Amino acid sequence: MTMFPLSVHNSTQSLYVPLDCEIVAVSDLTPNEKLFRLRLPEGGALGHSPGQFVQVSLLGWGEAPISVSSSPTRDGYFELGVRRAGSVTSAMHQLVVGDTIGIRGPYGRPFALDKLRGRDLLLISGGCGLAPMRSLIQYCEDRTEEFGRLTILYGAKSVEDTLFKDDLTAWEASSRFACSRTVDRITGGGSCYSGNVGLITALIPPLEIDCTITVAVIVGPPVMYRFVIEELKKKGLTSAQIVVSLERHMRCGVGKCGHCTIEHLYCCQDGPVFWLNEVEHLRGAL
Amino acid sequence: MKVLYPEHIPAFFTALASRFELRLPVMLSDGTRTIGSLEDGPIALMGGAVPGKPTAAFFPQQGPVFTAVEGAVLPSSDQANRLFVAGFTGRDIDCLRFIDRFFADGWRDDIYFRQRAGAVIAGVSGYCGPGGALLPLIGGGCDLEFVCDGKCWLVLTYSQAGEGIAAELPDTDAEEVLHQIRIESLTAANEGDELIQRASQLLRANRVPDSFWSEIGDRCISCTGCNLACPTCTCFGVQDWRYANNIERSRMWDSCQLDGFMREASGHNPLGSEALRTRRRIHHKLAADPERWGEISCFLCGRCDVVCPTGIGILAVAMEMVDRFEQETIR
Repeated sequence: MTMFPLSVHNSTQSLYVPLDCEIVAVSDLTPNEKLFRLRLPEGGALGHSPGQFVQVSLLGWGEAPISVSSSPTRDGYFELGVRRAGSVTSAMHQLVVGDTIGIRGPYGRPFALDKLRGRDLLLISGGCGLAPMRSLIQYCEDRTEEFGRLTILYGAKSVEDTLFKDDLTAWEASSRFACSRTVDRITGGGSCYSGNVGLITALIPPLEIDCTITVAVIVGPPVMYRFVIEELKKKGLTSAQIVVSLERHMRCGVGKCGHCTIEHLYCCQDGPVFWLNEVEHLRGAL
Repeated sequence: MKVLYPEHIPAFFTALASRFELRLPVMLSDGTRTIGSLEDGPIALMGGAVPGKPTAAFFPQQGPVFTAVEGAVLPSSDQANRLFVAGFTGRDIDCLRFIDRFFADGWRDDIYFRQRAGAVIAGVSGYCGPGGALLPLIGGGCDLEFVCDGKCWLVLTYSQAGEGIAAELPDTDAEEVLHQIRIESLTAANEGDELIQRASQLLRANRVPDSFWSEIGDRCISCTGCNLACPTCTCFGVQDWRYANNIERSRMWDSCQLDGFMREASGHNPLGSEALRTRRRIHHKLAADPERWGEISCFLCGRCDVVCPTGIGILAVAMEMVDRFEQETIR
């Protein structure tokens, strides 16, 4: 498997020393998730590919692995969609424009763009999975001529939990994408919602898929994979045509701390993006 | 060949202390043998493998990643003096070679190599095991080797650094004794080596059922002693410590036997049961590492079997696996 040692930390004194970057914009995605737009010193490029992550560092709090939510085709900044779920992300949610955070990375194996080019792409994400998927979607949006039919499916628990609502609205309106979304259930704040209700798996059977040229990409919570994969296989896709991005708690991001192993693989180095046929036989992968 | 007489040991190492930061087998006041400095207690080369992992000299239980003062980050500094670490058995040298490879692969771990680079490694062998038992000759992989012939220490060198350290020692003509130790070392092949290979094959062939790991998991009390004693266990966690004038980010050993080891912020826990965690500990060494690194990463130092209060060190588990599942297949 390929590693991607093109990383901003090369300019620092140690693999584990983060590089400061400035928060240039913060917006609320949901009551529990925020989008941070960040700028490296001198506006330098992060050098990432869609699917990679960075280790966010807050002095006094620690580090957390966060997927990059923006495409490298958008110059001058990068974005992180951050759910408040622990001490580092809770502290990060207190930060405002002008504050700085540390980052290390980008790390991990990204989506194999060279193998996705020319294909019809079925981009399926659930919950927070839209954060890394957004990087790929934006990439496809900016290099639209490189890809075939682009279908986006997104499922959230509720309307209030739906991430990147403005992006979803734009993708739904775009002639370049076929975009469908659903919510598991309608709760108090979703009274104006008139879209699909139910699990994301219900969005797959109606699709017309040309199995000879389609690749499906899945990013979502662990519980989602098995059921989505089952539906995709019913449509005729094989494990060699399905890409998954797996969630693990990478503490170091560089294959040393041991917290993200999946049998002999290190999710932070060999993943987080895998072809399904690389991991489906491994215990605990899905 | 050089020789170090027992009565010269303190002076020899004291002289080295001016050039190196010494880590040697010493006897603490409570009777524990450990790897420490000359100030920690009298030198105790005799006694076999030290109970703690000797690789801790380069990957300590807790060590700084960096210090931040008023927001400015200062990486951990280089080792002031080169380390001289003695007390490695042949099995420990294999462990060190493995973790050197691990920390160098891909992203080179600069924190580890700040300690490791330039360090002098001294092995111990000969009749210096518990009760004078034979520790097999090492024969390389270190800078120098102290071989106990029952009375004194023959000193074999394998590098320029080792030769320099031994240069001032007197010569001896002990080829015959050394030859005898070499012969005995060859015949002292550990039957554990074959056992661990067979257990590895069972795991890799997926012939160990989940019910076995449930049984072993039930015996685990999550004391983490196995991980803390294992020279090839390299998992670590990261913690920030806040002080009045600075923040220190440090890393410390972690254990895959703890429930929180892989638990994610979302609550998802790929190692959410003792059965899965116990399987992970053994599978990692005997199946995952052979797949990734081409070799089993347990070198049978025996420490986990010694420290485990419930008898599920790796050798004990391997023995049980082989007893139960090779037989089942034969039947």
